[in-house]
Amino acid sequence: MTSLSSETSLTGADPSKPSGSAPAMVIDDVVKRFGRGNDIVTAVDHVSFNVQQGEFVSVIGPSGCGKSTLFNIIGGLLGDYDGNVLIGDERISAPHPEVGMVFQEESTFPWRNVIDNVAFPLELQGVAKSERMDRAHHFIDMVGLANFEKNYPSQLSGGMKQRVSIARTLVSQPKILLMDEPFAALDEQTRLLLGDKITQIQQQLHQTTLLITHNLTEAVQLSDRIVVMTYRPGRVKRIVNIDLPRPRTSDVVGSDAFGHYVAEIWNDLREEASRGMADSETAASRRGAHG
Amino acid sequence: MAATGEMSARPRPVAAPVMGGEASARSAFFLRLACAAFVFAAWEGLSRSGLFYGEVVPSLISIVRAMGVLLVDPVFWTNLKVTFLEVAASLAIGTLLGVVTGIVLGANRFLMRAFEPYIYYLSPTPRIILFPIMIMWFGVGPSSKIALGALSAFFAVALSTAAGMRQIDQILIRVGRSFRASKWQMATKIYLPAMKIPVLNGIRLGMGTAIITVLLAETKLSNQGLGYLIMQVYTRFDMPTLYALLIAVFAIAGASNALIGRAIRE
Repeated sequence: MTSLSSETSLTGADPSKPSGSAPAMVIDDVVKRFGRGNDIVTAVDHVSFNVQQGEFVSVIGPSGCGKSTLFNIIGGLLGDYDGNVLIGDERISAPHPEVGMVFQEESTFPWRNVIDNVAFPLELQGVAKSERMDRAHHFIDMVGLANFEKNYPSQLSGGMKQRVSIARTLVSQPKILLMDEPFAALDEQTRLLLGDKITQIQQQLHQTTLLITHNLTEAVQLSDRIVVMTYRPGRVKRIVNIDLPRPRTSDVVGSDAFGHYVAEIWNDLREEASRGMADSETAASRRGAHG
Repeated sequence: MAATGEMSARPRPVAAPVMGGEASARSAFFLRLACAAFVFAAWEGLSRSGLFYGEVVPSLISIVRAMGVLLVDPVFWTNLKVTFLEVAASLAIGTLLGVVTGIVLGANRFLMRAFEPYIYYLSPTPRIILFPIMIMWFGVGPSSKIALGALSAFFAVALSTAAGMRQIDQILIRVGRSFRASKWQMATKIYLPAMKIPVLNGIRLGMGTAIITVLLAETKLSNQGLGYLIMQVYTRFDMPTLYALLIAVFAIAGASNALIGRAIRE
């Protein structure tokens, strides 16, 4: 545990946060390898960081840095890994009731309308119908879809469907909201506006959030801290505190400080991204030579 | 004349290449109507020409008259009921076994790999060649027709259920797991609704083949049912009634198909 506390200080726990309270989540020396024999790929390599209560942390890195693997481990969908992901004293090895996942893919149920989609987790918990409708309604309102409760996903845009997914996860009131590039499939404008929505909700609920992303502006716009990952094997390269004022809106994108952070993190990220690119080009040329 | 001149002077919408939905639907309807009228006229002409021996091409009027007689004849209704029950029983048995088999095969890659060839090779085999065996096992009564019909429905339902099972969007299953759905909740709230359409499509296909197989079997060897009645009428060479019966069978098959189609669209 001594190594853990030094890690925390090294990675710069936010001094404005009450230092006495335990972190909402501890990610301690997590390693995940795939394959066997000579074909072992280390996807996540000794990754450690904490997420404080109420904090918004982003994990950023190029494709192939093991972000999605980390997402699946923290979400409990990938139980077989080394190291520890802890919530309190509990090690995560299966989906945890206090972690709510939002996926990158469109994941609404096409046969359910918006309100029934959002009420889904409450239905699983056996919450009575009138209460679950009330609670679903509350979160649908929060993501700004109050007029679309009876619509089916096929009648909604991509951004609206992702908001349904977010409301569906929030309705189960998880302690930690875990999101894997929820806006990856959306255009830049929609992404900025949804970012505003996320910031607003996060501030309203004091929602502890861990966002996995490869989008630099999104990470800086939303986060208190950013964990920068290296390209394969995925290690923590650096952790950057984002001291932009809160409450925040997408206007922050125009500020000098914002540009400064983006430049700083891009400096770290560029090297990793170009390694990733070189790798995939080699792989492609090798395939070409064989074919 | 003034009116038409005014109309042609107006800028006309360029509708020629992409005909508006409604207009094109109306034209298609008229074409269909014209086609039917042509067939009726040709039929009636052929019937009156006397080119064919006896009543091979009976006049439309005699077919309509035969239809009238048929629809009030209790013999028709008893036989219709027998065929209906045979098809319904075949479909119920075939669907039940087909859905269970489809789910087992769809859920288990190993079993699918082991048994898929059998299903694919057996499913296009004409079931009627098994009819002699069914007669030996189940007798000449409705049981042998039900067994054969169930066999035909089974393949259609099993194949489309297995395909539906494998085509379920994996992300929805991950969502279910992330919300810690139990096995039962996964089955009833994710798998079943996601598979509803492929299963209903399988039932529709299964019903089609069950109707074909049951009627075919009835024409071969039986003592009741619409297929039996058709053969009876044929041996009497009562052509108007034979055509009336065929039209009735078309109508029934079409209607039941439309019924399931509507359930799917709902």
